[in-house]
Parts: sequence; C-alpha cells; structure tokens
Amino acid sequence: MDAWQIVYVPDKPPIPPDQQSTVDVIATVIEPRLANTLVRRLNQIVPLENLRHVKRVRKKSVEGKTLLCLILCLASEHGDQFDSIPHEVQELISPHKLSTFVTKVCKYAATSKEEWEEQCKLWPTSFHPPTYSIDGITGFSEEDSRSVFSFMNSAIQLAKSGGGSVVNAAVIVDPSAKIVIATARDQIYSWHAPKDEAILETSCSERPFASHIDSNGVMSCETPGGFPDDSKQLYDDVSCLYPWRWAEQKTDMSSCCWHPLRHAAIVAIESSASRDRRLYPSSGDIQDKLVDMNSAHSSSTGSPAKRQKTNLTDVKSDWKLETCCEGSHSLAARPYLCTGYDIFLVWEPCAMCAMALVHQRIRRIFFAFPNPNAGAVGSVYRLQGEKSLNHHYAVFRVLVPAQVLDGAETCHGQPTSTVVDNYGI
Amino acid sequence: MASPKEDCSSITLAFMDLAIQQAKLALDSLEVPVGCVIVEDGEVIASGRNRTNETRNATRHAEMEAIDTVLEKWQKKGLSKSETAENFSKCSLFVTCEPCIMCASALSILGIKEVFYGCANDKFGGCGSILSFHSSNSNPVTSGGLPQGKDFKCSGGIMASEAISLFRSFYEQGNPNAPKPHRPLILPETQ
Repeated sequence: MDAWQIVYVPDKPPIPPDQQSTVDVIATVIEPRLANTLVRRLNQIVPLENLRHVKRVRKKSVEGKTLLCLILCLASEHGDQFDSIPHEVQELISPHKLSTFVTKVCKYAATSKEEWEEQCKLWPTSFHPPTYSIDGITGFSEEDSRSVFSFMNSAIQLAKSGGGSVVNAAVIVDPSAKIVIATARDQIYSWHAPKDEAILETSCSERPFASHIDSNGVMSCETPGGFPDDSKQLYDDVSCLYPWRWAEQKTDMSSCCWHPLRHAAIVAIESSASRDRRLYPSSGDIQDKLVDMNSAHSSSTGSPAKRQKTNLTDVKSDWKLETCCEGSHSLAARPYLCTGYDIFLVWEPCAMCAMALVHQRIRRIFFAFPNPNAGAVGSVYRLQGEKSLNHHYAVFRVLVPAQVLDGAETCHGQPTSTVVDNYGI
Repeated sequence: MASPKEDCSSITLAFMDLAIQQAKLALDSLEVPVGCVIVEDGEVIASGRNRTNETRNATRHAEMEAIDTVLEKWQKKGLSKSETAENFSKCSLFVTCEPCIMCASALSILGIKEVFYGCANDKFGGCGSILSFHSSNSNPVTSGGLPQGKDFKCSGGIMASEAISLFRSFYEQGNPNAPKPHRPLILPETQ
C-alpha cells in the first residue's frame, strides 16, 4: 500500500458482486427516439414496484450507434418467460416489432458506493446514500481527505509513542474547526491515577501539537520510533484486539494503577468530557436553557401532557437554532457530548468502545487496522447498522501507506489486500 | 430469559432492592435512574448509579461506576491481576436495567459470574435484547477455535416494574441534559 485512502465501512456487510441476489426481467433494444413514449407508458402499466433502484433504460453502443436497452417487465419465475408478458406490454411490443430477451438485475439497492459500482456492471441502478447525511459517505474533498490523513497519522504516531510496546491510540477531533479535542493511548496496564484531575486533563488534552496539525500532518511525539518489526507478539498490548487477556499480562511494576477497561477510546471520551467541564463550567448553555424551561413550566403546574405540547411547538425553532449553531465555532456554544466530533483510532474498536462512542454521540469513526478478534464496526459486530440504537455514526477505514507504518507491514493485523476484501472493496 | 418474580429468592430481591435505591439516588440527581450493586460471597462490595449528566461522559453508567469502585478497592489491597480476575469470577451484578452493549461487553471482559437485571433494554441491551454477551449466546464468540469472550449467566425481569416506574418518573420530569428533540418525545411504552 503506498497511498493514503479512505474506505467507507457500510451499515450492512457488503455483498460480493458475484453473490448479489438478482431477478430476471424481460428487456428489449429500442431506438433512442422511442424511449420517452415507451418508458412513460411502461411506468404506468407495469411499474417496477420492488425494483425502484433499477434504472429502466441502459445505454448501449453498437458499431458507433447508440441504442437503448429497456426493461419491459418482470420475467415470470415459472414457465415460458414470453407467454407471461402482460397483455398491455404485448401491445407495445408488436407495433414496434421489438425483440425481447431475458436479463438479470440486482434485487436489492446498493448499500455503498462500491457495491453500487459493481451492480451497474450488471444493469444500471441508482444509489441513495443512507438517509442520515454524514460528510464523507459520498466521498471526501481533497482538503477533507488531507485532514483525515493527518489526524490518522497523529493517532499512529501516538500509538507508537510509548517507547516499547505499540498500543491503540485515539484522537478526538472537531472537524469543523480542525482542532484536537482529546488524545489518549490505551491505559490498561499503566494508568497513573489522577490524584489531581486538572493535571491529568492538561497532559491529555492540551498538548502543544494538539491545537494545530501542520500541513504535512506530522505530529511531534516525545519518542517517535517505528513499529518494532521483529516480534510476533507485537500487538499483544492493543487492548481492543485482546480485551479478555488483561489478566494474563505481565505486571508493569512501575505503573501505580492498571484498569482492564481503560481502552484508548474510553480514556479519550473521559478526557473530552473533562475538557467540556473545564471549558464550560456548570452554568453552560444547556443548563441555562433547562432552567428557563423549568421555571416556565413550574408556573403552569407542568403536567406531562402540557410539556409534551410545549415541546412540540418549540421543535421547529429549536431545530433552526441548532442548525446555525453547528455551523459556527463560537467557544460560547457548549457541545452536547461529542456531537459533530470525529474519532481517529489506530485499530477498529471492540464492542465496549464502539458502544461507548455511540453513547458519546461521535459523528464519524476512522480506523486504520481492522480487528478480526473483537471489532464491532465491521469485523465481528457492526454497531453502525444496529437500527435500534439512538445514534449512528459513519465508519471509515483509512488505508495507510507503508512508509508511515515504518516497517510494520509484515505483521498480523496489518492492512493487506486480503483484509481490505473483508469490506468488499 | 426473563424469569418470573416468584422464582427469585428473597436474597435476590433484597440485592435488587439495593440497586433500586441507587437508581433513586440517580433520579434525585436528575440522572437517568439506573442503579446497581456488585455482590461477592453474599456481601455487597460496591454500588453505583448513573452519572452521565454530571460528568458529561455518557459512558458513566451505574455498572462502570461500581466496577471502578471494586477495582480501586482491590488494588488498594494489593491484589494482582490474576487474583482480580479470580475475584470477578465470583461476583454477581444486580442492576435495575439490562446492561447496554458497552456494559455487557465490559462485564464479559472482566469475567463476571452472573448478572441479574430488572427491566429489559430494548434499544441498547447487550444481554439478549440487541446483542448477546451472556452465556445463552447462540454464536459463541470464538476466533480460530479459541474461546475469546468470557460469558456470564444472566436473568432478567427481577423487580422490573419498580425499575420501569423510575424511568417513567424520569421521562416525565424530562432529561435536563438531552438536546432539544427534533421530534416530539414519546413516553416509553410500559406495561
């Protein structure tokens, strides 16, 4: 791998192109001038009800001449295909002397751009990205890509910065302002217990490199060093890869505390929460609104029914308010948890961390390496596709050039082309 | 998995009642009312309640609070990691609401013995409602033939109506920290 690349990890496992469910349809080749009339008529008499993603017409070039292939109707599942053509369709076929043939189209709409591209090789379909709109699902601008790569690079450097072992690392970012909100490494074996919370916060979230990443995306760390490339147990200390192994690990006598659940993402969330408390002490935006709301209600004896009604009428204006707040980066606006923020993780998060990121309302997860043991955003589970959850993030895998990984590409858990195939890319 | 109330021993109910007391403390502090206790050898060694609003950290669920208390306690005693793991394997958790996917996963990582919960968690539940990290898991979590996750026994429906009525009180008073809803709130269907 020698170039950075961002790959969307869809809500549902992508289906390999050769395993897509298909249905047979009856089609014909027509002169382009007939297209308008025929399509209009067919949409009236035999609309493609359950195949709304399938385009009715496909362009075909024969000997420099443009012809159109047109789907007439669904083919019957049994018996003679052509006898099953509805009478009204027959009436269209005869006057134009159309010759029909049976072809296959994809039964289900594509869930990702990549799947869609595959589908179109069979017969063109349309692709509608998920109904919630999160930047990046339909592609990244060059500027956004650059910033994604630079933040991922930061996370990788952070993962390597421990001197000895490589661990997972997390960088929480406010993408609209391009600032780092929190950074963390796994702390399951060495956690310096926060006697003074303020000191911990400072060291975690206010590092000098944190505010701006330079144009090369290089973040300076104390001991940059490469991924050591000689040991098979190289990634044993990555907590999301082996969450159940904490009890077997060697004891690091120098550390004063250890904690089996202090995975990088969990620590980063904690750090962003304490930043929130520090920057927006209790009388924040949200609290004020609440007080206003409560006092308004207490005067009206506030029965639940009344509250419901009031909320309803307020919805529209509040929504507008929120929308304009999201666009501005004013420090006065207190964030709600990590709404609008992205997290960059070196390894795909385990179920605990992935669910923690749902709770904290992270907008997008970027990870570099999949986690075949315990990954919960594509490998073992796929929380972004669990419809019952009250929040959904978009997930992207970032393919990292070998030179950035610094000789780590021979080890397991690395992005090889076979692993990439897991995502159907 | 929901075992009827009459199957519960009085000791189970007594521990769940302590969890309910914790949930009430959460409610009094304008937190989503979930509480829990961790029991080792018939003795409560830690209790916890939701602190997500206070900490602005939505991962500070009752279970995580109680787990932190236990770990701190055992580390002060100088327990090693393997002793800690062994102790967890003797502990039971009593929690008023089915642990979410995050907490269920955490309990599996720690290797807790058993979980008793009140009401089910239809949106986030990690003990059967959405995903399963407990022992009735039909697809055991394995990788290359090696068991990876530690599963735990799980029984639900213990004092569920008490747990639900606390939620109801909470949603009637409104979650102070939630953003204004884009759509009108719908009170959870109960009973």
